[in-house]
Amino acid sequence: MIKMQNIVKRFGESTVLSDVTFEAKEREIFGLLGPSGAGKTTIINILTTQLDADGGSFDTGATLFETGLMLDADGLYGRLSCLDNLNLFADIYGIPRKKGAEALQSVGLSDAAKKSVNALSKGMRQRLALARAILHEPKVLFLDEPTSGLDPTTAKGIHKLIQGLCDNGATVFLTTHNMEEAVKLCNHVALLHQGKIVEQGAPTEICQRYNSYKTTPDLEAVFIKLTGVELE
Amino acid sequence: MKNKCRGCAPAHPVKKTAHPVKAVFTKQAKDMFKNPIALLPFIIFPVVALIMTELVAKGNDDIDNNLFVAMMASIFAGFGLLQSAAAIISEDMEKKSLRYLVMAGVKPHQYLLGIGGFLFAAATIVSAIFGFIGGYSGMELLKFLTIMLTGVAAAIVFGLSIGMLSKNQQAAAAMSMPAAVIIGFTPMIAGFNETVEKFAGVLYTQQISIIVNDFSANITKPLMVIAANIVVFAVLFVVAYKKKGLTS
Repeated sequence: MIKMQNIVKRFGESTVLSDVTFEAKEREIFGLLGPSGAGKTTIINILTTQLDADGGSFDTGATLFETGLMLDADGLYGRLSCLDNLNLFADIYGIPRKKGAEALQSVGLSDAAKKSVNALSKGMRQRLALARAILHEPKVLFLDEPTSGLDPTTAKGIHKLIQGLCDNGATVFLTTHNMEEAVKLCNHVALLHQGKIVEQGAPTEICQRYNSYKTTPDLEAVFIKLTGVELE
Repeated sequence: MKNKCRGCAPAHPVKKTAHPVKAVFTKQAKDMFKNPIALLPFIIFPVVALIMTELVAKGNDDIDNNLFVAMMASIFAGFGLLQSAAAIISEDMEKKSLRYLVMAGVKPHQYLLGIGGFLFAAATIVSAIFGFIGGYSGMELLKFLTIMLTGVAAAIVFGLSIGMLSKNQQAAAAMSMPAAVIIGFTPMIAGFNETVEKFAGVLYTQQISIIVNDFSANITKPLMVIAANIVVFAVLFVVAYKKKGLTS
């Protein structure tokens, strides 16, 4: 279970997170939604202990080894091959190197195993970054905008992978500013605006609460109702 | 708060089969041969030393046969290697690769030993080549390699610290260039100016220069000065890693 309670974060004079509280249950996909600059990445950075919060508490229910990460920058070694990138982390984690080949297969990159990362398309890089995140079969996965900038087909492939990971027992915490993605993928969502959670719950419940459920739930309409701000 | 900043707290319980140093070393070995910026100093300085020794020094009685070896070996350790180390680490930081290593539980000393270990191994080969070009043997060769390799260790740690303190590769180049020029070329100017000579006395490059120019000189003090350089640079590196490994 991932839990954040009354988290406050300041950068100098500006408060970027105020009183952030939410809970993501085990084996679910939890989406943190909001426009750029809302504080989504800051929350991931705090949860993954890359940043210290100025107040409040949190618990991810997992050790570092049980945590998988896919951050805004992929951090892949461009001159190395896909498999070499994964082998590096397999050696660091102390798991068999065959896990690298398995992870590549699970993201559909087996054919590109020996290809240099610099020669990959953006979608392939995203999939490789996801392969690295799941290499050691983590209990909790943090994915920061996993489909940002991808074409719909590639994004759909990534959605399928994330769903599969959750079905296999992982708890997935992702950030996105794509409301449609959140509705399709997430069991629970929290809407973040200017560092504050303005609403949270199951996507369909939230939409029903704000009468924004016609043929499909419309989280974007809810967000605009609550904040007066359109998502880019 | 249950969790604390990873840079300050112990990481996850590492499996016994984990080999972070070996993993980073192997990564660096594979990456280096595809990275001309980092690779160039390892080739250019011995090649220049060879050409100058064979074409200029050996045909000229007024020039010591080992002059260019001593010069290029000092510049390699003080200038080339430092820049190479700074470039490698700043690239890891700029592209956020280092962040993933830290998050996977790689500790500062493991990263330092992995990257630095490979650079040291490569620099050992280059130093041996310098020794071969200089025609050193016996005690001379032993002294040359000892002073070179301790100097190389200082250069690597200093270069990695500069890289760690830089925001990106461009900033690393801007920072390492003047540092490399001062450290690499001060021993040459030291002979002409007493004040510079006093300042140079604390630099590892000056110690290399002292020994490679006069193998009869006592090596103990130079080694101690270089060891002090290594300690200072290592502390600088650890502080920078903890501070910037995750946040930059």
